[in-house]
Amino acid sequence: MFVTDIRKEFYDVVINQRVALLVATDIDALCACKVLQALFHCDQVQYTLVPVTGWQDLGTAFLEHKEQFRYFVLLNCGANVDLLEMLQPDDDSIFFICDTHRPVDVVNVYNDSQVIKLLIKQDDDLGVPSYDDIFRDEDEEADDSGNESDGGSEPAGKRKRYDEGAVERRIERQRAKREWEARRREILFDYEQYEYHGTSASLVIFELAWVLTKDNKDMLWWAVIGLTDQWVHDKITHMKYVTDIATMQRHVSRHNHRNEDEDNSLSIDCMRISFEYDLRLTLYQHWSLFESICNSTYTSCNFKLWSLNGQKKLQEFLADMGLPLKQVRQKFHSMDMVIKENLREVIEESSNKYGMKDIRIQTFGVHFGFKNRFLASDVVHAAAALLESTEKDESASDNFIKALDCLSRSNLERLHLGIDLAKKKLIAIQQTVASCICTNLILSQGPFLYCYLMEGTPDVRLFSKPMALTLLCKYLLKAFVSSTRNKRCKLLPLVMAAPLDVEKGTVIVLGIPPDSDTSDKKNFFGRAFEKAAESTSSRSLHDHFDTSIIELKMEDRTKFLDALITLLS
Amino acid sequence: YINVLDSLYLCISRAGRTDLIPSIKLRHCCLLRNQRCLSAYLYDRLLRIRALRWEYGSVLPPNIRFHMCSEELQWFNQYKKSLANFMRSVGGEEGLDITQDMKPPKSLYIEVRCLKDHGEFEIDDGTIILLKKNSQHFLPRWKCEQLIRQGVLEHVMS
Repeated sequence: MFVTDIRKEFYDVVINQRVALLVATDIDALCACKVLQALFHCDQVQYTLVPVTGWQDLGTAFLEHKEQFRYFVLLNCGANVDLLEMLQPDDDSIFFICDTHRPVDVVNVYNDSQVIKLLIKQDDDLGVPSYDDIFRDEDEEADDSGNESDGGSEPAGKRKRYDEGAVERRIERQRAKREWEARRREILFDYEQYEYHGTSASLVIFELAWVLTKDNKDMLWWAVIGLTDQWVHDKITHMKYVTDIATMQRHVSRHNHRNEDEDNSLSIDCMRISFEYDLRLTLYQHWSLFESICNSTYTSCNFKLWSLNGQKKLQEFLADMGLPLKQVRQKFHSMDMVIKENLREVIEESSNKYGMKDIRIQTFGVHFGFKNRFLASDVVHAAAALLESTEKDESASDNFIKALDCLSRSNLERLHLGIDLAKKKLIAIQQTVASCICTNLILSQGPFLYCYLMEGTPDVRLFSKPMALTLLCKYLLKAFVSSTRNKRCKLLPLVMAAPLDVEKGTVIVLGIPPDSDTSDKKNFFGRAFEKAAESTSSRSLHDHFDTSIIELKMEDRTKFLDALITLLS
Repeated sequence: YINVLDSLYLCISRAGRTDLIPSIKLRHCCLLRNQRCLSAYLYDRLLRIRALRWEYGSVLPPNIRFHMCSEELQWFNQYKKSLANFMRSVGGEEGLDITQDMKPPKSLYIEVRCLKDHGEFEIDDGTIILLKKNSQHFLPRWKCEQLIRQGVLEHVMS
């Protein structure tokens, strides 16, 4: 059931208890975790933090901790399945779920027994079907048999008429029941067909902190990073992003005006968060402008930088702005001040000429000390690169710890390491996209486009991780749409497969919805994959919290694909 | 030793073998040096054993006791007793456990990260915590100190 007063129904309940925090492995969950940890430190709530990478991990973590903990807080996992059925908890476990995955499973919503509390804002467009449409009270069944036995106690003459009446009523009721069940199936199918994301978990937890008046700038910054993660990985619509940015902007102004005025300005070492209408060039302040333009999705797809023509256009673009190549290839910090001063406006003006109307995006930046300036998207990329780093000796939980650490301001070396890894990842993505487009690796299968990364592809190990593969997928689709002439193909979704574990012979498969400016980001591949795997009895593992990402045995790939094609045609 | 050396010199000079005196002196210096080295070694062991009391508490793990000789164990027990007497005498009725809070504590509860699998760990109110590698916990400071010193937990400062 949904929680209406998050302070009374969640925080005041756990404040004197010990809590187990089960956190999913995405940046929004990490940020929500940091905010919640800070709150727990304030009030000395003892907790244990366990990272979980998928449903199996969640089940294991629950089993390990169910003896010792009564209260479980799940961040970015658990809302979209019937949790009680999956975990089979004892009567006294209570779950608080703060999850962006939609649709929320109806059992979790209508569960009466106080076991599951959803920390989800109800003004999101949840679209949960009403109770009567999907659950039928059992009393109506008892009425049928009650009437019949009543009918039986009447005298013989009247009984015959009652019998006929009773039989007719029964047939009528059964027909109504069948109709109701058919409608129910339809409603549930419509409700559960598309998977999408709601308000970021870090925003919900930050608002809890705000209600408790325990919020501070660090928590606000983490909430901003969580929201930006949803935008970077394309999980929410542009409208929603802009709306949430406006909400954050109110909080940012509130924090900024508190401390600074004409007479006492803050020391340069204090943390300042500012609203920025900044360029959509990934990591440009920590790289050179040229590299950033080449490796950002938006610019690369608009210029088509995988072709010679595109490279020429880029040179023209730079010349048009009057930026000498030597300057542009230098590290951003070392560029001439004269150039840096009006850079954003200059680039925006030129971009408009080249058809890039949205080169600037609303976001936030932080700055503390003279050297440390970061945009929210920089931190998201750095943390994501650390979280999915593919070094040999590091386990998933090692990476989780590293990514969690890099979000603290005191761990700047880790953040810089993350930024370096992110740069390598972006370069790898760009090169893979270029080679896929140039060698026509994307095939149209009818209802969708398909691309398979072969084992020998450089950096293919990077793409065995879900977030990196998602970024590659989205980038590839955008690039394909801008380079193809086939109008029908521009409206198709993309399914991508990459090798996951060569020894075990598994591949990771994911599907994304078609690319369009007005896309509502709703993804139907979750259900489609389930049905295709079932119908071909492929050996697949639907372990990720995002149902549109699965693991599959290499041998079953072809028949799975065929089933998917038939299913979606 | 000096007496032995003197009597040795006396014997030698009586036997008329004064040419042996340099080699005796040399040998003696070597013996003294070896003795000094051994004393330094044994003293260093004692200092480490003393530090063990502060690190591990009053009960030493069996793999450490295995490496100590019985005299050292005896010394350890006596040191333990002295320390306990001192602690009882300080701080009023109950005594003061000075082996806790070796650095000035900043807060009642601290965040710790588990560096290796340690299995189950019981805290004051009887609840058990599973210490698995890379899990993080927020626990009372006094319960964690031992484990931090042993390297099982790491204090996380953010």
